[in-house]
Amino acid sequence: MNGALAKKAAPEFRAAGTDLSERRRSGVSRGPLIDIMSADDTGIGWAANGTATIGAFTTIETIAADGRLAAAYPGLAASAAGLATPQIRHLATLGGNLAQRSRCWYFRNPHIDCLKKSGDGCPARAGNHLYGVAFDLGPCVAPHPSTMAAAVLVYDATIVTDRRDALSIADLLGDGRCGWSDHALQESEMIKSITMPVPRDGERAGYRRAISRSLAEWPLVELCARIVVEDGVFRFARLAAGGIAPVPLRLAAAEAVLTGAVASAATIAKAAQQAASGAKPLPQTGYKLDLLHGLVRDVLERLCG
Amino acid sequence: MSTMTINGRTAPLPDDPEALLIDVIRDDLGLTGTKLVCGSGVCGACTVQLDGAPVVSCLLPARAAAGKAVTTVEGIGVEALHPVQKAFMADDALQCGFCTPGFIVEAAAFCDRWRAANGNTAPPRDEIAAALSGHLCRCGAYDNIFRAVAEACAGRFDGREVIAPRLEARDKVTGAARYTVDIHHDGQLEGVILRSAQAHAKITNLDLAPARAMAGVAAAVSLLADDGMVRFVGAPIAAVAATDRAGALRAIAAIRFSSEEKPAVIGLDAARKTDAPVVFEKKDRRRAGNVSEGGGAPAPWHGNLRGPSDGFSDKGKQARAWLDAARKARDPLLVEGTFRVATQQHACLEPHAAVARFDDDHLTVHVSTQAVFEIKEKIAKRYKLPHGKVRVIADHVGGGFGSKGALGIETIAAIELSRAAKAPVRVVLDRDEELSVTGYRPAAELKVSLLPTAQGALKTFSLTAHADTGVATNSTIAALARLIYPAEAKELVDFDVVSNLPPGAPFRGPGGPPMAFALEQAVDEAARRLALDPIVLRRRWDPDPIRQRLYEWASGLDVWRNRKGAAEQSGRYRRGVGIAAGYWLYFWQPGSTVELAVKGGRLVASTAVQDIGTGTRSVIANTVAKEFALDPQDVEVRIGDSELPEGPGSGGSRVTSSIVPPTLAAVAQLKTAIERAAPRPPQQGSNAPWRELIAASPDLVVSAERPKDAKPATPGLRSPLKEAGWKGTLFGWMLRLFNNMVVGAGVPSAVQVIEVEVDTWLGRVRVLGAHTGLAIGRLAAPELAKSQAAGAVIQGIGYALYEARETDPHSGRVLSGSMEDYRIPGIADMPPFEVHFDEGGFDHVPGGSVGIGEVATIPLSPAIANAIRDATGIRLTEIPFRPDRLISALKGRAAA
Repeated sequence: MNGALAKKAAPEFRAAGTDLSERRRSGVSRGPLIDIMSADDTGIGWAANGTATIGAFTTIETIAADGRLAAAYPGLAASAAGLATPQIRHLATLGGNLAQRSRCWYFRNPHIDCLKKSGDGCPARAGNHLYGVAFDLGPCVAPHPSTMAAAVLVYDATIVTDRRDALSIADLLGDGRCGWSDHALQESEMIKSITMPVPRDGERAGYRRAISRSLAEWPLVELCARIVVEDGVFRFARLAAGGIAPVPLRLAAAEAVLTGAVASAATIAKAAQQAASGAKPLPQTGYKLDLLHGLVRDVLERLCG
Repeated sequence: MSTMTINGRTAPLPDDPEALLIDVIRDDLGLTGTKLVCGSGVCGACTVQLDGAPVVSCLLPARAAAGKAVTTVEGIGVEALHPVQKAFMADDALQCGFCTPGFIVEAAAFCDRWRAANGNTAPPRDEIAAALSGHLCRCGAYDNIFRAVAEACAGRFDGREVIAPRLEARDKVTGAARYTVDIHHDGQLEGVILRSAQAHAKITNLDLAPARAMAGVAAAVSLLADDGMVRFVGAPIAAVAATDRAGALRAIAAIRFSSEEKPAVIGLDAARKTDAPVVFEKKDRRRAGNVSEGGGAPAPWHGNLRGPSDGFSDKGKQARAWLDAARKARDPLLVEGTFRVATQQHACLEPHAAVARFDDDHLTVHVSTQAVFEIKEKIAKRYKLPHGKVRVIADHVGGGFGSKGALGIETIAAIELSRAAKAPVRVVLDRDEELSVTGYRPAAELKVSLLPTAQGALKTFSLTAHADTGVATNSTIAALARLIYPAEAKELVDFDVVSNLPPGAPFRGPGGPPMAFALEQAVDEAARRLALDPIVLRRRWDPDPIRQRLYEWASGLDVWRNRKGAAEQSGRYRRGVGIAAGYWLYFWQPGSTVELAVKGGRLVASTAVQDIGTGTRSVIANTVAKEFALDPQDVEVRIGDSELPEGPGSGGSRVTSSIVPPTLAAVAQLKTAIERAAPRPPQQGSNAPWRELIAASPDLVVSAERPKDAKPATPGLRSPLKEAGWKGTLFGWMLRLFNNMVVGAGVPSAVQVIEVEVDTWLGRVRVLGAHTGLAIGRLAAPELAKSQAAGAVIQGIGYALYEARETDPHSGRVLSGSMEDYRIPGIADMPPFEVHFDEGGFDHVPGGSVGIGEVATIPLSPAIANAIRDATGIRLTEIPFRPDRLISALKGRAAA
């Protein structure tokens, strides 16, 4: 019996179980199970001021399919539509997506110890980290798995838990320096809803993931972007990338290039050059920066097209 | 206690919060149409409808179904088959059938939804792909699945009865087909295997007592070899049988042993270092496994390196001298390169599984196997049982691809546990085991040097292969280059590089795809150097008359004639077209016997062969039916049972070529017997004289053994091994002696044309079209041959673009043990596909048919590589061509 499984296991919440069930079967998750799925906190509410509140148990499919949500927050809807498979999207919840555990193949293997299983080190760092981070921010080199988190980040949306209000993604997931957890929720703290701010006038948004196959694959890199173009100039730009760091990352340097600049292919190319600013790739993950570069161009050119 | 409604009936749900719906469906309710494959929501084989919406039952907590309606495949088309089921049957949208229930459940929901919104219109291809993106099919039935779903949506199968070209299709689309994992005997126990966590260690003091003492445990047995060594992570140590899987897992965790860890070495590069720890001492070399279909010749060992095996070289020294001279002279025509291929897992959707049961001294074993008859013999030999007291059964097999040809540890464990427990025992490998320790096509490093003459003839080439075989040997890659592209001299050298990784195994054309990957790219490059069309060059260098016809077909394709080349393209997306050729040997198995009978006025054909998705039942039924002018459905085919007359193994593409000839011989005998026994001749002018005669015939039985082939009428047509001189003859003789396989005359051949689109921003290669030319003689079952060809194409695409086993370089543990990390192609990756069959060339074989499975997949990866070269000007040398590799290569060019 290895160390990871011998140590006392923490309790885990279960919503739809699309992440947890696999870890229960493999034995990676062995703590007490707390079912939380309920009809409350399901669905999308609209306030008079135009903000939307999405219950934590709202399914990914619902978010992808809701017409009003897609009109107001197309980047959020496209992120939801772009993740996993139709069967998973039908069951999986927004809260569960934000709080899901790492997909790292060391973490998911019940025979291997790692930081996220109370182990001492990250075996991927000196081992095989083909799908690891390109922004090496902490002791664990697995990228954060939540596609919705990057969308929440790009929209400056806030998260309500049963204890706290108005958490940002940084509040919820940390800054990437904590290797042993995938989020910064307190023990038995539960996500209740997220609140989407009022969209800006004329904003456009999009989402794309870089994968090897055509469909249904965890992203190598993914990007959710929002822009406002007025009079041929980028008035506003928000880019958030997933798959490259232990938390979803704002591409601040690229945003800075865009903001105030002429909306042109040349500006986009310049912004794409800045996307990897601050990156610290691992020996096997330099390619992710090239993909990030390509994604910034892809998503922005489509939004401007 | 809460309940659900399942297929219209109320069923209780367990109180256990850990219970997952799939286990309730399969184990509690016995609805085994729903299959467990990946266990992680990736493959969709377990899909059921929950209140009408498809969900993966492998991840669904059982309690989430409380108060809801669940529909499994058994609940679809109960009154009358759903149009989607009929479409899958008619369009042959399935092969082994293990993924089929999941596809049916999903596609039925999609079809109903689509038609409610759109009426009887066919959905576009990308809508179908998106809807079915949560399903994986390893056989690669995607091309026909697209067609079936589109046609069902368009209303083509409403209220219509259909005839399936695949004999057992109805059982597969309704979930009735039972696979080894579905077998359940009364009192059956679950067996699990304790595996080594160390890559190299000596195990002593194995103590099974703590496991045996646990509640629910009926038996524990050692699986250690007599030397007590484990040489890879996952090597079996012991096995336990308990009343349920959870109990058995707890019990193996209680087993105690001492282990003395030895230095381990992982992978091709580390194992070749001079100071690398040695995996096999001299006395232990016989313990290595075998990655080929045949036995191998002896070869020298140096540490972990076994080789050189160069028996198929032809004037090797001369080849080397010419190549050295060309290198020194900087001959611009000399093509040289080092290529790498990755380890490819078979990834059968039905895992390796066995259910053993003793009835007094009779042993019956259901095995997911490619060789019911041979496995029966091996079991009898291993356990010193009389052959008449062992029976091996495999009604349906959920994929094999070469990995299920041997007597596997799952079968050994099931037998030994069953004997010890005095109860039936089932052993089913989990997905991590399936994707790590059941064999693979070894990775390899391939060094090729090829020299044309100034006049454009092929002077010489060399190919040296180092294969990453784990704790196995006998990789044959380079040797296969002897039998294509004659040259004045060839140096062909194979090495096995042994390391502390699981053993490789035969995989669909063992050695063929890596050989073609290197050689076909070298030939393509030579064409560029000579400024010749690559087809023109192949027609010059490759004298095989059948491939000459295939080249002619390929050169006439629009996609080939209209290709542009890299120089004329710029921008993000580039398109290119590539070609590659491949061949395989035509094997057949002596002793293969088919019994043909009239029983109760009906024809029954029997042989101890098995169907791993290749359509063996249909091949037999079609052959018999044609001779009697009946429909295939009129013939009952009995296979998958070792008590039937000896049949061939499903390996080496030898089934069709082994069973069609004896079937024809048996037909001739039976016709005579029927006529002789006929109470009266058929009515004058009857349009179905045989139907009448058979209906009126008394019961009769005949049987025939595989006859020898006729002497080929085409002059010069002979076994290709003859091209390799006396060593080829020796090799053929050894194959016959040790593997019961004969290499016949003629060469099954493939020419593959591929069109790709390269996204230079995101590093993705999309195959836009596949044009497959195949020469495998006359088609015994045309629709199924097309299905096989399509499956070979998509598996080859997986090999070229996505698939790679990944390991931890320190521990030697396989990391890609789940279906999300071992990436097989999905339906959206299947390109539009066209196949051209050239049916000539095998008239010396009774029936004129040879096998298709292996040859069709061989030229895929080089055709894709050549297409990428055509699109981008860059020759990629390492598969899979993932975004990371493509983007690096593109960047390298931009920087240069």
